[in-house]
Amino acid sequence: MGNSFSFTKPLLETPFHERTYEACYNNDWYRWAGYKIAREYSNTELEYTAMRNTAGVLDITPMHKYDIKGTDAIKFVDKLVTRNVTEINSGQVMYIIWCNEDGNVIDDGTVFCFNSNHLRIFCAERNLNWFSDTAIGFNVEVEDVSDTIAALAFQGPLTCKILNLLNVKDIENLKPFYFDKFDLNGCKVTISRTGFSGDLGYEIWCKNEDAINVWDSLFTFNRDYKVLPAGMNALEMVRVEAGFIQPNADFMSAEQALRPNRVRNPYELGMGWLVDLNKNYFTGKKNLVNLKKKTLTKKLVGLDIQGDKPAIGSVLYDKNKKEIGIVTAGMWSPSLKSNIAFGYVDKDHMKIGSKVFAEIYHPEELEYKKIWAECSVVKKQFFNPPRRHKVPAEI
Amino acid sequence: MRKFDIIIIGGGHNGLVAASVLSKKGNKVLVIEKNENLGGLSNYVNSLSYISEEVLKELNIKIEKDINENYVSALSDDLNHTVLKITGNKNIEILQTNASESDQANFFNLINKYDLFARTLRSFMFNKPPRVKSGSRSDIWQLFSMGFKVRLLGKKNMRELLRVIGLNIADDLEDNINNNTLKGLISSEAVIGTNLGARSPGSILNLLYNQATNNSIFRINKYNTNSFLNSIREICKKNNVEIETNKKVEKIGISNQNVNSVLLDTGEEIQTSLIISNVDPKTTYLKLVGAANLDTDFIRRTKNYRTKGTVAKIHIDFKNEIKINNLDTKYLSGKFVYAPDIKYIEHAFNDNKYNKLSSNPCLEFYINKNRLSANVYFIPYLISSSHDKTEILSNVKMILEKFITENQILSSAIETPNDIEDKYNISGGHWSHGDMEIDQLLMMRPFYGSSQYSTPINGLYLCSAGTHPGGGVTGINGINAAKQLLKDKRNG
Repeated sequence: MGNSFSFTKPLLETPFHERTYEACYNNDWYRWAGYKIAREYSNTELEYTAMRNTAGVLDITPMHKYDIKGTDAIKFVDKLVTRNVTEINSGQVMYIIWCNEDGNVIDDGTVFCFNSNHLRIFCAERNLNWFSDTAIGFNVEVEDVSDTIAALAFQGPLTCKILNLLNVKDIENLKPFYFDKFDLNGCKVTISRTGFSGDLGYEIWCKNEDAINVWDSLFTFNRDYKVLPAGMNALEMVRVEAGFIQPNADFMSAEQALRPNRVRNPYELGMGWLVDLNKNYFTGKKNLVNLKKKTLTKKLVGLDIQGDKPAIGSVLYDKNKKEIGIVTAGMWSPSLKSNIAFGYVDKDHMKIGSKVFAEIYHPEELEYKKIWAECSVVKKQFFNPPRRHKVPAEI
Repeated sequence: MRKFDIIIIGGGHNGLVAASVLSKKGNKVLVIEKNENLGGLSNYVNSLSYISEEVLKELNIKIEKDINENYVSALSDDLNHTVLKITGNKNIEILQTNASESDQANFFNLINKYDLFARTLRSFMFNKPPRVKSGSRSDIWQLFSMGFKVRLLGKKNMRELLRVIGLNIADDLEDNINNNTLKGLISSEAVIGTNLGARSPGSILNLLYNQATNNSIFRINKYNTNSFLNSIREICKKNNVEIETNKKVEKIGISNQNVNSVLLDTGEEIQTSLIISNVDPKTTYLKLVGAANLDTDFIRRTKNYRTKGTVAKIHIDFKNEIKINNLDTKYLSGKFVYAPDIKYIEHAFNDNKYNKLSSNPCLEFYINKNRLSANVYFIPYLISSSHDKTEILSNVKMILEKFITENQILSSAIETPNDIEDKYNISGGHWSHGDMEIDQLLMMRPFYGSSQYSTPINGLYLCSAGTHPGGGVTGINGINAAKQLLKDKRNG
């Protein structure tokens, strides 16, 4: 992710920048949607460990936020995405993906339902153009509210405890994939029990002017709990463990791919469970019906790899050394004590338990060590502790 | 609830042609027309220069030839007009001109060159256009034969065709001709009814395309439009096609991506499983079908389909019979063009780019005793405002005063593209239901995903000028759409 761009306009600073700047000992910044976000504050492993054992705080302000307002708001989202959202309740969050007419995935995100006339979609890539064109013929207005809302991801096993100590009332009873309005240290905030870490965790949405106060309050009990700000590198680690895929990393967004064979449909990404072919017409339905009948030629799967050297960018082979795919993300997982990865495999190796081989090039003091590692195909979700789903959450 | 085998929305000429073809096969057909009169935009056309063999054969009709000798007069400010006589479709003579001998010779060379290219285009113009990447054998064969027909021109001509096809008309004319009036005359044929100026790339293609559909570089009077329309109407009548006028379709009923009914403004719902829409593609998809039933990519293409009309229609009644200064009265039966040079056309087009009306517009007009009917361009369609019609009229009058003196205007009527939109329900009030440019032609007409007259909705077909081969009163769109429907019906 080398950013060798020359900018005429400096990157924007989020409302948390005053604090993140202080905390970012490495001064290592990542460019996300025109904002400066810390890639590593001081040590990625430390930040990761905080997220898995106490709590980590991530600045996710650059996340794109689109307000959908109007009497057709639910109808519009239902037309946009592959899941049936007509049954969504106020206060509920749904994980959604949306496809183009060929049935290839454009992006994923979450939709928050405030009421039947007001929904909000959060996603990592820009989608205003796609949403606006989808909105033609619906009584809705799509507005980009990205810059008006500051957001933190507060992830880790102690998050509920800390929020409880901060007198956020009833936070332990917030169910996964629900949100509500809360009082946090005198600020009105929206908290959702969602996140990208696959663990117990919350996302906190507040006004820009409350940002610093919210940030500071999360570190109030640091003498006992050692909450750390976490950067994008640590996030990358937890999201791979949790089995979350990312557009333009694990697959090319259908709106951005230049080469026609680089796009992926939900079935190839293992997201078939998100596609409801019995619901009303949505973009891509016609082709998804056909795609479902076809046998897949490739699929993104989880890989459990021999040894401890991460298989980043490795090519995958079958036992006859025939090339069958590529690894899109790989890491040594400290929590699971195993070497895990996401990778595309061909139709003969999609089944859980299939054996494939990765050719890993591991740099060791100016020399590459070539490792031929056996991998077994497993579920993408490597890390899924019970506390993630528990209601009430552990205080 | 009433029920029909096939409903045709819009009683324009293509809708009627489709109705005749389908009813001949024994289908119970209903045509619904919004206006009192059938014919739609073809009512604006007095005469046709060409009706293709395919149409005459398919419908089994014979049309009397109207006039065999035509005059085209290019008016010039110095009253040194150029007059062409066209016998048949292509036999062109220059009767009077201020152009030099060599210019005249070059003019004919150019016309012959364009004629040759247009004939090549015409050889695949009237068939259903092939789809790209469909994988179907007939489509591949058709693509191949299109290429082969171009190759048949020979090396030199093929190269020349490929050289000029994307060029602007001004460049090619300036390379060959010096005379301004002749340059203006050909340029005007290349840009009328389009969103192109003489210097816009693609204007030669538009010229060739029009030439191919009209079988003549200057659209001339040969067949009477009414006799063509009447004979189609008679076939419809003979085959018991039901025609209902003064009724507007509000919505096409769709369930599970299949057509099942149409809803009229009277509140009536009529059942059917097959619909041919003679309404322009934009209106069909965005208003009749509704965006909820279409993919976002498709909506995007529909939205981006360019349909800005640029021509206003004016009728002016004079007190006395009209005479043109310094022009023999025997030429009055012909067509008049006022587009004196390339620069003039380009300036008129400039205003169009900024959605303003041309203060010095180009004119194409016909004279019938006291009445003058003119196409005025460029008068762009406006999205949320309207033009000052008196301004357009006074601009036109200023031009006419140069040529028509000692006469008096009694009354005048004007229809801007906005009026045409309202009257005929054509988005943008565009002559051809959409610009005829390279990305909106052949298999790309109206746009990817909607070619070959079919649509993403099962049972819905298009037959308007927004389909291949585009605008002009050809009837080909109607025939091809009907054939496609029948083929799909046969194949289930």
